Amino acid sequence: MNRREGHGWHQTLSMWQQICLITSTLIGVGVLTLPRTTSSKLFEAGWIAPLIGSAGAFVSLWLIVKLSKRYPGETFIEYSHKVWGSARRPWVGKVFSLPWICTYLVYLYFSTAVVSRVFGEVVVTSVLLQTPLEVILITMFLLVLFLCMHEVEVVARVNELLFPFIILPLLFIAIASFQKAEFGNLLPINHVSMRSTAEGVYEGIYSYSGFEIMFVFFAYANQNTNKELAGFYSLLIAALLYMLIVVAGISVFGYEELQRVTWPTLELVKSTQVPGFILERLESAFLAVWVSAVFTTVANAYYAVVYSLRQLFRKGIRFQRVVAFVLLVPLFFFSRIPQNITEVFKLASLLGLSSLVINLLFPVVYWVAILIRDMVTRREGRNVDG
Amino acid sequence: MSMGKFLRYFALLIVCTSLLTGCWDRRELEERASVLAIAIDQDEDDENLYKMTVQIPIPIKIAGSSGKGGGSGADAVKIMSVTGRTVTDAANNLQMRLNQRLFLGHTRILALSEEIARKGIQDIMDSFRREPQIRRLLWPIVVRGKASTLLEIKPRIEPIPVVFLMGLIENGMKLGRIPDQTLGDYFNQTSNLTMEPFLNYVEASKNEVSWKGVAVFRGHKMMGILDHLQTWALIQLRNEKPGGDIVIALPKTKNGYVSFRPHFAKKKVTIQDDFSATFHCELQGDIVELTEDLHIPPEQFVTQMQALIKKEMENRAKKLLQQLQKQYNSDILKLGLTLRAKHYHDYWKTHDWKKDFRDFPIRVKYTIKLRRLGMEMQ
Repeated sequence: MNRREGHGWHQTLSMWQQICLITSTLIGVGVLTLPRTTSSKLFEAGWIAPLIGSAGAFVSLWLIVKLSKRYPGETFIEYSHKVWGSARRPWVGKVFSLPWICTYLVYLYFSTAVVSRVFGEVVVTSVLLQTPLEVILITMFLLVLFLCMHEVEVVARVNELLFPFIILPLLFIAIASFQKAEFGNLLPINHVSMRSTAEGVYEGIYSYSGFEIMFVFFAYANQNTNKELAGFYSLLIAALLYMLIVVAGISVFGYEELQRVTWPTLELVKSTQVPGFILERLESAFLAVWVSAVFTTVANAYYAVVYSLRQLFRKGIRFQRVVAFVLLVPLFFFSRIPQNITEVFKLASLLGLSSLVINLLFPVVYWVAILIRDMVTRREGRNVDG
Repeated sequence: MSMGKFLRYFALLIVCTSLLTGCWDRRELEERASVLAIAIDQDEDDENLYKMTVQIPIPIKIAGSSGKGGGSGADAVKIMSVTGRTVTDAANNLQMRLNQRLFLGHTRILALSEEIARKGIQDIMDSFRREPQIRRLLWPIVVRGKASTLLEIKPRIEPIPVVFLMGLIENGMKLGRIPDQTLGDYFNQTSNLTMEPFLNYVEASKNEVSWKGVAVFRGHKMMGILDHLQTWALIQLRNEKPGGDIVIALPKTKNGYVSFRPHFAKKKVTIQDDFSATFHCELQGDIVELTEDLHIPPEQFVTQMQALIKKEMENRAKKLLQQLQKQYNSDILKLGLTLRAKHYHDYWKTHDWKKDFRDFPIRVKYTIKLRRLGMEMQ
């Protein structure tokens, strides 16, 4: 474990940095469609979905925290072979942990492709109509590459720095749009079945995933901080913001109209009147600020991939830089695979499904494996004693 | 500074300057033909064609007119008309006649002729829904006669006619006399299953424009109009806006009038158990005019006037409901929304509001609170 220690930055992420890291990864392009996706099945009661979704997310995040506490200072990549292997035959652990690590990395890798594509789509359709999609993707990837040149500490600081740029515009839009709200649109709340509630939560699942990067980053959290609490606060912030934006969307538009608009949050920005008409066409300004929200989502996930690869091959920062650059090339092509907007959304919801698998299945399976190991070791220990 | 470091910074500078210059969509203000208003009519010759008229300001003329002191104000804008099978088709035809690219981001007024509004405007609205430049805050207006007349007015107070028109609407909104119906509201109301949309209705002559009330829609089709008195009752009951002054003939006098200016309106809708609705509306305001002295003590005067205004307002509301329910069958009062919100299981699920609104019993009860009598004591 102490091979790469030399750096002074090890295990230094403060509680606030952890919160920023998780929240800013969670909040990304999903917010732009969230009012539509959640109200498609839940109608007037769409705002319930982020609450339930985040509660589910917390269970998963809690398990991830527990994993990280069991193997303090180690990332998913490092503790995976301890979970799957035995002390006597280390190669067993390496072989059996590989499928899990690969799935995790492939998922994160593709999620960055989809997220940047969705963001590219919204920019191209609403603000920069003449700009090729590729240019937006490339500029985003260059930014991401720049971040990947640095160590984990830098990532945390960047997230900390950008955090207000993510929270404040959302808060502003949600609150400012209440001047046009029609609260009758939020009622009745009690006519949806359990089934459609589940479906409604699932529709928006894409928005409450992203915390799986903490499989890696929790390793660098300061040991004295309460990781559970950091996870709880960050999910709470995200859930409240999401709820606010969905409530604003439903009360301003009504769920029927929400189903017809592609980017409801952006439309919310468009129909928000700033007193005095100082700023017209606010949506361009909003999207300009929103780059930071998308950047933190894409960059954190991509950083997790690159950093994991570095750990997997036990290399240094130079390797990380080269890998970050090399992997961007296929990423660019992957993000261009969907041919049209419906395919983009289909892929995004597929991503939601796979995030569900990763976030719930992985921690649970790992814990089951650990518990079984524990039982076996205890029995063996007793045998030795006896 | 070493050479290598210098080179590195130099490269960074080059990269930054080349990346920060802007993008494909950079377009200077003078390279755009900003459309301030769009009017859509039916073409006179061909029934299947739309005629689109746009108003484009001429920047150099606007700057010049203030120096010259007006006079040539009407020339500050260019008005162009084109025809097309659809709105986009017409816009394409327009682009062929312009030196700069059309820019709709500053469009503030969308004028629709009564004729096409009565035929239904769903097909027109589609392109406005899709176009990202179009602002949801622009005002669609139904114009009596031809919509293009609204763009051709020469108000002379303002060099740009649309600015005059915007001022008229904005001011009316602030006074609470003209409802604030934006394009976004129209979209929401047409999508919403519980309510119907309405738009402001104006009449334009050669030099002037005058607000006449609202055009009531059912779906995307205009059903009829409400005049300004009924509209004021509507916005009291719907938006809690005070509406305009209420001028009533005094009973038992030759030619006496009293004018009441409402300042605040509050409403409450209650649904009774037998499914009938009651609008309670409270108006607070002052007497601003009394053309004949009634020679009664002030306390008695106040109660008498309150009763008089209450009766007048309830009559207006009755006429409003008569028109909305029996004539147009269009719920622009947002009553359906209240019913769905509060009586989903016991009423909404079993009824078809689009049909049942017509016969839904609605009562309106006004409470008038006469607060002051202006600068005059009696």
